[in-house]
Amino acid sequence: MKRWILLALLFAVAVALSLLLGVRHLTPSDVWQAVTAPDPRNPAHVTLLTIRLPRLAGGLIAGAALGLAGTVMQSLTRNPLADPGILGVNAGAALAVVLGALLLGRADNGIVTVLAFPGAALASVAVFLPGGGLSGDAGPVRLTLAGAALNALLISAVSAIVQFRGEALDILRFWIAGSLASAAERPVAAMSLVALCGAVLALAIAPRLEVLSLGGSLARGLGTRPGIVQAQALLAVTALTGAAVAIAGPIGFLGLMVPPLARRVAGHSLRLELAASVALGAAILLLADTAGRLIFPPAEVRAGIMTALLGGPIFILIARRLKPGAQG
Amino acid sequence: MKRVIVLVALLVVATAASLLIGDVNLGLGALWQGVWGGDGPAALTIRVIRAPRVAVALGAGAALGLSGATLQTLLRNPLAAPDIMGFTSGAGLAILVAITVGLTLPLPLVSAAGGLVAAILVVALAHRPGRATPAATVVLVGLGIGFTTTAIGTFLMTRLPSAGATEAQRWLTGSLAARDWGHACQIWGIGAVLALLLALQVRGLGLLELGNDLAAGLGLRVERTRWMLAATAVALSAAGVAVAGPVPFVALMAGPLGTRMTGAQRPGTRLTSAAAAGAGVMLLADLVARAGIPGLQLPIGVMTGALGAPYLLWRLSREIERGEL
Repeated sequence: MKRWILLALLFAVAVALSLLLGVRHLTPSDVWQAVTAPDPRNPAHVTLLTIRLPRLAGGLIAGAALGLAGTVMQSLTRNPLADPGILGVNAGAALAVVLGALLLGRADNGIVTVLAFPGAALASVAVFLPGGGLSGDAGPVRLTLAGAALNALLISAVSAIVQFRGEALDILRFWIAGSLASAAERPVAAMSLVALCGAVLALAIAPRLEVLSLGGSLARGLGTRPGIVQAQALLAVTALTGAAVAIAGPIGFLGLMVPPLARRVAGHSLRLELAASVALGAAILLLADTAGRLIFPPAEVRAGIMTALLGGPIFILIARRLKPGAQG
Repeated sequence: MKRVIVLVALLVVATAASLLIGDVNLGLGALWQGVWGGDGPAALTIRVIRAPRVAVALGAGAALGLSGATLQTLLRNPLAAPDIMGFTSGAGLAILVAITVGLTLPLPLVSAAGGLVAAILVVALAHRPGRATPAATVVLVGLGIGFTTTAIGTFLMTRLPSAGATEAQRWLTGSLAARDWGHACQIWGIGAVLALLLALQVRGLGLLELGNDLAAGLGLRVERTRWMLAATAVALSAAGVAVAGPVPFVALMAGPLGTRMTGAQRPGTRLTSAAAAGAGVMLLADLVARAGIPGLQLPIGVMTGALGAPYLLWRLSREIERGEL
């Protein structure tokens, strides 16, 4: 219980900092007045309503979705290094959006953003088939390398596109490292619905995922059909990752950091772990985004870069702890 | 022996093709003139533009191939290549930082320093006192170092002005555009010295393959030999990166590809075939990258990434079937 309270506090602090800090620091009374009695001539109110609040909304949805996606992935693969960024699902979604934007000529078109979903779906199939991730006994090295290979392939494709179209580099810079800066221009409301569907699906299949983690044959004996549960889990991951990428671009390593922390908070029930992942994912992404705004004002360090800078060392930490038996 | 000759012949054909094919396709006559110092546009195209580029591709490819094969043998793991373990991206990042800050040190030195720092970090972080370090942990920690260097590189990219970012992007992808004879002399000079150094250690590498205990029993100073071999391999990959950028997957593919083509058994011939295969992969990848799609010059890193990723995936799925890894 104490840990749940700590999590709630962390979440509240992350939300508050995200609203208050930035190039222009606001005070809590600014926030209160901006919400209760907005004044269009007061620059603090305008900042809050047109920049901070949309950004907060985008960060909440994208962070929660990525945290959930990470927990589902790690439960599905029984691999503590699984993450939508590391396994290339982010890159697949991003590449599909970049391709669509270049072909249709517009970056922030709603139709183009929808391409994130088939992109994420294709990438997750591509990484899980040769990685052997779905058989549940793929070692972390194998799955992680399959992800690295997929990432390399997709980044090659993106670089090739940039050579075709020089102006694409500016789009590319956004799509290589995600950011919440342009969340206001993105279809946050629509994507939050999709993410909600993914979250409901994840919660619904959580008990069966737990059974599946006992091993395929035992799960079959208990009346769970592994193929169907795996397909449902991938569907949930695709919906969650696609929604997050559509809002914020590819943000990696959240799915790596969230599940171990969520397990500490929630114990061993996957449903509770998923619930904790929602709050943790949102809180970490908001904190990363706020820190990125404060390092070199008025320039911003993208949230995707902040999470990647944090994520590399955490990846090493987890890799070091793997038991030799779990390697390979 | 016959297969070695086939490999060398393939290399010669690839070299000739790379000299002749491009935006302007030339004939064999032009090649003849170009080699023997004739002038005229065709001969100059060969001597000034294509030949140095081909020489750099061959040298950098051979250096990366040697480095990959050495590390793969040393760690007894086909995935233990400098590009997988983050050494090449460390070298690339060091050069990017040097360019951004305006450092005037020679690039090969900067690149070697970056590669060595990455390698030392990987070894230090993978090591846990009192336990043997599995090769898989080294590979994973290397991947983590790779993630971190990529993050720092992306961060630097966003701090650069737009023109600088394009240049940096090209550099981080790995590119052989606009290489001159200076670059070629650099990679061949440094590469030759390091290859000689490696040749002196081949006996030790062969003994290490028997297992550390047996090698020690045969009078080899195991730790020292391992460190020297690893340092030489890292320096070789850094030398390649200094002229071509962190081209992905060449070092990973060269060793297995070379061994498969020549059927070599002894460590010395295996390393030689890895060098030849690396040079060949680099040359062909560059040729396809710049001439595969008319009117579009892709950087070589895009092509080796597109070639190498399926190779890695195939390798992984095959090793699952065999139950290795």
